[in-house]
Amino acid sequence: MSSASTQGASEAPWAEPSGPTADPPRPTDTEQRRSGGGFWAGRSGLVVPAVLAALSTYLVYGMVTMPVGEDTDFPGPRFYPMLLAIVGYLLALLLVLEILRKPEHPEQDEVEYRFYSDWKAVAWLVGGFLIFAVGIEFLGWIVAGALLFWCVARGVGSKRPIFDLSLALVFSSLIYLGFAVGLGLNLPSGLLGGL
Amino acid sequence: MESLGLLAEGFQGALTPMNMLWVLVGCLLGTAVGVLPGLGSSMAVALLLPMTFALDPTAAFIMFAGVYFGGLFGDSTMGILMNTPGQGSAIASTFEGHKMALAGRAPQALATAAIGAFIGGMTASVVVVFLAPRLAELSALFGPQEFFALALFAFVATSSVVADSAIKGLASLIIGLAIATVGIDAMTGVERFTLGAPQIFDGISLITVTVAILALGEVLHVASRIKRDREGEQINASGRPFLKRAELKEAAPAWARGTAIGLPFGVIPVGGSEVPTFMAYDVERRLDRRRKDPQFGKGAIRGLAAPEAAGNATTGTAMGALLALGLPVSSTAAIMLAAFQQYGLQPGPLLFERAPDLVWALLASFFVAMVVLLILNLPFAPLWSKLLLIPKPYLYAGITVFCGLGVYATSGRIFDLLLLLGLALLGFLMRRHGVPLAPLMIGMVLGPLAESSLRDALLSSDGDWSVLVSGPIPLVLYGVLLLIILLTVRSKVVNRMRRDV
Repeated sequence: MSSASTQGASEAPWAEPSGPTADPPRPTDTEQRRSGGGFWAGRSGLVVPAVLAALSTYLVYGMVTMPVGEDTDFPGPRFYPMLLAIVGYLLALLLVLEILRKPEHPEQDEVEYRFYSDWKAVAWLVGGFLIFAVGIEFLGWIVAGALLFWCVARGVGSKRPIFDLSLALVFSSLIYLGFAVGLGLNLPSGLLGGL
Repeated sequence: MESLGLLAEGFQGALTPMNMLWVLVGCLLGTAVGVLPGLGSSMAVALLLPMTFALDPTAAFIMFAGVYFGGLFGDSTMGILMNTPGQGSAIASTFEGHKMALAGRAPQALATAAIGAFIGGMTASVVVVFLAPRLAELSALFGPQEFFALALFAFVATSSVVADSAIKGLASLIIGLAIATVGIDAMTGVERFTLGAPQIFDGISLITVTVAILALGEVLHVASRIKRDREGEQINASGRPFLKRAELKEAAPAWARGTAIGLPFGVIPVGGSEVPTFMAYDVERRLDRRRKDPQFGKGAIRGLAAPEAAGNATTGTAMGALLALGLPVSSTAAIMLAAFQQYGLQPGPLLFERAPDLVWALLASFFVAMVVLLILNLPFAPLWSKLLLIPKPYLYAGITVFCGLGVYATSGRIFDLLLLLGLALLGFLMRRHGVPLAPLMIGMVLGPLAESSLRDALLSSDGDWSVLVSGPIPLVLYGVLLLIILLTVRSKVVNRMRRDV
């Protein structure tokens, strides 16, 4: 963060402020340090045009399979998505070119990591949320919510699993009391409902 | 002076005990998320959006306005004390503000920021009270081509000006627009892009997208870096947070200039208050260089006062543009527009006719919120920094659980929870690769308007495209848009040349 703010002083006021990723790439020094990374170093950003192209393809697929009546007037339901798909493909192409030409190296840490992102932490969060989403009706809000809380705390770096578990249960129970009992939200009671 | 009468009625509507409570809740919450690094008012509003179905519209919007303004009051606190601005709008205040704190003037810096935000916000609220009804009358003349021009203006300006790469900004926009096309086409009743899944016949829920992109995606991003980014050190801010007469005199012109710079940016959709805060900072720096004893770099009070005033002035007039034109200029404003749609209200000229109680109570609540925020922030700013004592794992765990709660409570479906997770991953990828999120939100919210007005215009003209540029209002809008783009390109080129030399 700190370097983002010091740079912002001297250059574009419009620079995206959020975190190290927003820093302009400085190819000269980072490329030397990352020379061992191979083609994908600094080019993981290709995932963005990939998403965009996939989305445009989905739009095209949807347009082809769309049941449109013969008598629909000119700007029918396909017209606007078609514009989006064209622009989407175009932007994906431009992004690919930009990233191939100028790889983006995020700011280097003092310690070298293989990946810029801490995928283990992300996996804890995503895994926890998946269990929560799938299990909420069976397990009930209190258990599923506590599990989610515990997984996230764990992923973000808490080192006290037993304490976390009790805290998580207290937290999700309080929400249940406040929102389901108090405000009348429809939260499933699940397993505990049968007791 | 009709506005004053209506405003007086608005105060009567706003000053009920329940509504005062919502103002207070909003202000407390906004300041809290503003203070916590990495959280912004857009996340707070996103998490609160599902609450809308439990509140009446007036209460909900009063609370949202409190959060929106409170976020701006709070985010400079941490910028000043720790050099970690919470969101883009606080970066400009951080430069001199943090230096003031380093020089042992932390309480004064916090006071300068709070008073600046108050002045900017108050002035903007007054401007909105008088200008918004006029704007609404103007927009009553809008037909489909005018609305399309307005939407296009918002799209292009937000995605090309804010992002450091215009292509990335536009990519984000297209993703948002595409998400908004899913569901049954309102004009022909044709099912689009649903793969036959009945859960999305009505489209992908705005609440799900908002919570995913701005809250859960943000948590994923924080988690991916939290063990690797070092924490800043916090400067102790004990002492009386009051300014001496000489300091007040020094800061006053900067507050005024900052406010003046910030006001017009509320109606220009360039992504909220980042651009005006930097402009205000830059103006003060230039003026400072001409003085005998330049203060910049040593903790200049003016370098902090101006951006703070500009930031809140922009936020204030942005609310005016949102109410009168239905034009969101930042992601927080886009979520508020989404909230209006949840209640079946469409901001714009009709809002002032159909729901005057709501509009004027909301406008009156701005003034109340400003006073409440000044009280909350001026004497208690150092107290707010104690929020950092909440252990990070529990903070983010709590936010995640609230994401799940909000989406499940409004949809009651596992499907939406899975959708939430998928979209959050998308938001995370975008954040990781420097793709701005505001264009996606604005595209999602304004997309349906853009499509229907484009098709209406073309239908009425039998497919003649020139209808889009007929009439003075679209021409003016496209002209201003072109001007903004040219100025952006120019400033980018100038910056690149400076960097190369």
